[in-house]
Amino acid sequence: MILLQSPSRFLLQILQDRVLSGEKGMDIDCHTVEFDDVRYHIQFSMRNPKVMVLSVALPLPPPEAILYDGLPLGAIEAIKAAYGPVVQILDPPKDGFDLTMKINLTKLPPDEEQRNAILTQIASVREVVLGAPLKVLLKHLASKTVAPNVDKLVALVHRPNESFFLAPQADKVTIVYPMRFQDSIDIVLATSFLQEFVEARRTAALNNVPSCMWSPAPPLELKGVPADALNANAGFVTFVVYPRHVEGKKLDRTVWNLLTFHAYVSYHVKCSEGFMHTRMRRRVESLIQALDRAKSDAEKLKKLVHGASFNRLSLKNEGN
Amino acid sequence: MADLDFFIGDEALSRLRSSGLYTLRSPIHNGQVDDWDTMERFWQQCIFNYLRCNPEEHYFLLTDSPVSTPESRECTGEIMFETFNVPGLYISVQSVLSLSAGYAYLKSISDENSDPSSDMTGVVVDIGDGASHIVPVVNGYVIGSSIKSFPLSGSDVTQFVSQLLQERGELVPPEDSLDISRKVKEMYCYTCSDIVKEFKKHDKKPDKYIKHWSAIKPKTGVPYTIDIGYERFLGPEIFFKPEIYSADFATPLPQLIDRCVQSAPIDTRRALYKNIVLSGGSTMFKDFHKRLQSDIKKIVDERVAATNAEHHVEVRPIEVNVVAHPIQSYAVWFGGSVAASNPEFYEYCHTKEEYEEHGASICRTSPVFKGMY
Repeated sequence: MILLQSPSRFLLQILQDRVLSGEKGMDIDCHTVEFDDVRYHIQFSMRNPKVMVLSVALPLPPPEAILYDGLPLGAIEAIKAAYGPVVQILDPPKDGFDLTMKINLTKLPPDEEQRNAILTQIASVREVVLGAPLKVLLKHLASKTVAPNVDKLVALVHRPNESFFLAPQADKVTIVYPMRFQDSIDIVLATSFLQEFVEARRTAALNNVPSCMWSPAPPLELKGVPADALNANAGFVTFVVYPRHVEGKKLDRTVWNLLTFHAYVSYHVKCSEGFMHTRMRRRVESLIQALDRAKSDAEKLKKLVHGASFNRLSLKNEGN
Repeated sequence: MADLDFFIGDEALSRLRSSGLYTLRSPIHNGQVDDWDTMERFWQQCIFNYLRCNPEEHYFLLTDSPVSTPESRECTGEIMFETFNVPGLYISVQSVLSLSAGYAYLKSISDENSDPSSDMTGVVVDIGDGASHIVPVVNGYVIGSSIKSFPLSGSDVTQFVSQLLQERGELVPPEDSLDISRKVKEMYCYTCSDIVKEFKKHDKKPDKYIKHWSAIKPKTGVPYTIDIGYERFLGPEIFFKPEIYSADFATPLPQLIDRCVQSAPIDTRRALYKNIVLSGGSTMFKDFHKRLQSDIKKIVDERVAATNAEHHVEVRPIEVNVVAHPIQSYAVWFGGSVAASNPEFYEYCHTKEEYEEHGASICRTSPVFKGMY
């Protein structure tokens, strides 16, 4: 798994179980979080076993990001477009949440393939809601226009109290991420990961992908942004997206990948740590072997009383 | 990027079957982790792909087997703190969690106001796929010296069922043999009270007892049907008569449970007999708990009768009680969820600060083994 997938497995599993389980009613009331920024609350009641109430809490917006009634620009329209008659938005949302939806499972299409497609869509509610403004801007890019009444620099929330920035133009959109990490080792790894990431972009096979840059200081696009939105400890990553990257079906994928860029980097930082540990374990193993070889024969033949020889502890690595 | 091209769980099995590009690895053998690289990747996938969380911001509760080595707990702690930067970690013993799950369940059905924490006493019989253990727990503490291991487990039942099917000449496609046996075991196996009677019952009314399994051969696409007869009760029978499956081990499970209780401190034995809790998928066979209870009862009653005859006394009869509950196949998970939602949970955790101060050795001891190791 190199890229993160957009549907939440948790939501999808609950929905599929419910659709397949027939008429059996059971109360479900559970909370779950995703990447620690989006919070879900799922409710099923006995009386209405085919109606799910899903509440979503979005990450706390930083001051520079603009929200409309607590939701990003165009989110309501995006929900309506994506789900159609299956979903009804409740107003006002539940206490502590930004959006509450009523999902009527009886209105799902009978065809299995279509039904699964729409369930997957519901499970990707994060992409639909948070990605809505990004989608609007990138759609305009696909038709080579600039969305009306949009500022020169748009801030979009993607983590609690953190935002990334978009500078839309008619022929390209520039996207800047200030990268922040907590742990000191993570910061170092993320910095070198991002530098490698930019380096990898330069290989010939990747000529058509959006160009990307990394710099330790805020790039020029971010002039005029308040200083505390810019205190990034792992530098700034800039992507430039051209219309060819958002044509047709590519749009959804681009939106999702841009939206979860931070989670993506943090996932890969953890993966590289895991990889380094594997290497370290192997090194220890080989050093232990070398030490064992250096032992004299007399030492090797330490037997226990009943004849079985004593196996020295070592980090066992079967199957490698 | 080859080191990221892998899958876990059901997804892994379906990928393995549909394409020849992957190989299968199991990091856990007989309840012990023996391939830490694979285990680390497994956790990585669990956290990012399934739980979809940021490990820096959550306390983690992991469980391990009651007989796992302190080294393996240390290794677990090292991976969790170094790779995933978890803020806190608690490595719990599976049997304690299944015991608390049993208590939570009994409490939820009876609504009695008994205090569960004062009463966490019982024997946990945990039979999983790879390892079986009998663990006595007194007031929430494990009696480490009395833990007994039973060498047969769920995978042996599967193996035995597939062996029986093959010996009778059922035409099972060899590549699916274990998979089918596992499904047969899960769907049709049950525990009987007396093998001889059961054989007779099957012979008298074969059409009532013999089940059929139909499927399609994966390679050729030809449909086939196999009959499932004696396997249905012979499979679980290996726990009560191990000699029918393996020549190395002949102590039946009830006798081992009895020995385990007998080796526990004398003042706890009555309480332990009173609460024998089942846990793990391989205790889900129909009537397993009834058979276990009657067999243990027989052993205990014989001993009481012998004592009475020898010393001319009248010993108060011992109550034997095997508790079964519907959540026992996920009992450990359920108990873990109960434990983690307890507000005191955070106090028991090893925190990242402690780890950085003292190193991985903090994971060696677990509060439930206090004074035992």
